[in-house]
Amino acid sequence: MASDASYSYSLTTFSRSGKLLQIEYALTAVGEGKTSIGIKAKNGVVLITDKKIQNKLVDVQQVKKLEKVSPSVGFVYSGVGPDYRVLVKKARKQAQAYFLQYRALKPVKALVQDTASVMQEYTQSGGVRPFGISLLVAGYDDEGPQLFQVDPSGAYYGWKASAIGKNFKNARSFLEKRYNDDVELDDAIHTALLTMREGFEGEMTEHTIEVGIVGEDRVFRVLTPAEVKDFLDEST
Amino acid sequence: MAALAIDRMLDAGARPKEDDATNAKDILGLNVQRFALAPTPDPAQFSKDNFGVGYGTDNHQKVQFAKGTTTLAFKFDGGVIISVDSRSTMGPYIASQTVKKVIEINPFLLGTMAGGAADCAFWERNLGTQCRMFELRNKRRVSVAAASKMLANTMYQYRGRGLSMGTMVCGWDESGPQLYYVDDDGTRLKGDAFCVGSGSTYAYGVIDSHLRADLTVEEAIDLGRRAIAGAAHRDAYSGGWNNLYHMKETGWEFIGAVDTNDLYYEHVHPSHIPAPPPKPTPSNVPR
Amino acid sequence: MSILQHNGAAIICMAGKNCVAIAADTRFGLQQQTVACDFEKVFKMSDRMFVGLAGLATDVQTLRNTLKFKLALYELREERVMKPEAFSALLSHMLYEKRFGPYFVEPVVCGLKDDGSPFLCGMDLIGAPVYTDDYVVSGTCTPNLNGMCESMWRPDMAPDELFETISQCLLASVDRDALSGWGAVVHVITPQGITSKSLKGRMD
Repeated sequence: MASDASYSYSLTTFSRSGKLLQIEYALTAVGEGKTSIGIKAKNGVVLITDKKIQNKLVDVQQVKKLEKVSPSVGFVYSGVGPDYRVLVKKARKQAQAYFLQYRALKPVKALVQDTASVMQEYTQSGGVRPFGISLLVAGYDDEGPQLFQVDPSGAYYGWKASAIGKNFKNARSFLEKRYNDDVELDDAIHTALLTMREGFEGEMTEHTIEVGIVGEDRVFRVLTPAEVKDFLDEST
Repeated sequence: MAALAIDRMLDAGARPKEDDATNAKDILGLNVQRFALAPTPDPAQFSKDNFGVGYGTDNHQKVQFAKGTTTLAFKFDGGVIISVDSRSTMGPYIASQTVKKVIEINPFLLGTMAGGAADCAFWERNLGTQCRMFELRNKRRVSVAAASKMLANTMYQYRGRGLSMGTMVCGWDESGPQLYYVDDDGTRLKGDAFCVGSGSTYAYGVIDSHLRADLTVEEAIDLGRRAIAGAAHRDAYSGGWNNLYHMKETGWEFIGAVDTNDLYYEHVHPSHIPAPPPKPTPSNVPR
Repeated sequence: MSILQHNGAAIICMAGKNCVAIAADTRFGLQQQTVACDFEKVFKMSDRMFVGLAGLATDVQTLRNTLKFKLALYELREERVMKPEAFSALLSHMLYEKRFGPYFVEPVVCGLKDDGSPFLCGMDLIGAPVYTDDYVVSGTCTPNLNGMCESMWRPDMAPDELFETISQCLLASVDRDALSGWGAVVHVITPQGITSKSLKGRMD
């Protein structure tokens, strides 16, 4: 850790043109990562991600990119996988600490803010590098359904629909055309699948994507391959 | 020395000889030897440890006695004023607001009650009996000096056994108004003014500031009431009603009982208006 | 004598129909010596919530300050007012954090929930919570207070009836307690707002 060394200087320093190149490189790493999409519906939020693996021998059932952080909040990422685990672990711990103190679920925004703070810290501390991931956060609390995106710089935004990772620009312009405010969760899932299919390399099956939803029951869950298959079948 | 000799004679009259088992006083329950003692190697220590009544010194005890008091008496040209509260507490619980803390020993003798209620009540009644015995035997009223000495001697006899009694023996005898203080360790003091009990310090504050020998009876009664009112307000273990007696040449007269809460509004804080409700501080966040 | 009884206190929280009330005496004493008759031991935590702190006066004030501090931070961070449920959990958590060197305070919390229904909670000095839907008491005369509330409380009281009931329960209880009384305050919380009154009590 940064504090271990007596002389540890920040690796993220301003270039002469006023840019933080380390953060831009981190964003490049995100852009290289597999695509993830999130859509906020009237009554819930859907997250979807590409988890295609080139090597056939990998057991895809063990590949999990969508993670439940608190009962009503889920994360997905694009970028460097191991970095993601660090943030998920910290976010889960913060959610638990909050529950221990208040006997209430941590609001989505508070969780996003805290996670963004961690990411910001890694842009300013000595001896560390920024996280090579962007996050999509889906949750449902007293404020209703919410979708957030958090970037390596620590910046976060609330979105109606967003895409990160490879091909995200195309996906976003696709979403811009497709999105409307009155969409129901089921329709949003189909829109997300449709967006993902645009520019998907290879066959999109229940084994090459992951889908997570949170609805009015305020429970985030990852759909089973069978459920994903049902949605895929419906849309074709 | 002469006084001591007389006192010694009175002691003998009041207290039975230990071998005199058939003495009438035994039947009257006067023989203090008849109290059963605890079957322990040191009964005195046992009583002290388990049946003490002291303020704050009995916290460990399984039995805790009712206590908490303000009593006062003072002499002036018009006699003696005896003024007491009426509260009895067991721990913080107010067991009674209507305790009679002035014990009417006989028409010319009053005793006050502070400390253990039972100890005071029993030994002052016992004193009354001893005084009556004296009268029958000697065909004259007992002097207050003698009566208070009898009580002090009894207390001395039980020293160290955990009795709790702080009393003022007040009376009028051949030589005029009399006031003595007697307590459980055998102390006996003659004086012009005494206050006894948990509220005594507050009462002393009032008495010492205003007591004069040439007070009129009305002024003296008022002073007695004010002192109890002040103590009842400040001392948690004093309050209820103020019973006030006036000791005169013709014997004592009960002046009356007044609610100490009414006395507070009358004397201690005449312009007292309850404080307005605290303004709830505004909530923390501007909204 | 327990350190909890050093300064003296009597506090009641009581539920009515869509309203709650909290009443407390105003004595500040040092054992048997009455030092002040205008001591605050009930604090407004939001427009719909009060906390009552019975126990050692120094800890009452420290806890009040810490609670206000935490509440202010929470409200800025989350841009919302803390609910009584979360507040009670927070307080309970704070007390247990000092499990081996506790604040000598037994708090009560009352407020209105989001749906306007009453919320009542009491806890011991290390934060074991008790949730009730009728009344909760704390202080140096809890047997008296419980006895009075048990006899006088009725379901679905209107605000003015609730005020009368809680006031009489408190005054009657402190008249049999040497360490509390000397005046009282009552706050009634309704969805429309808060009404606060001072009571004239026995001064002995």
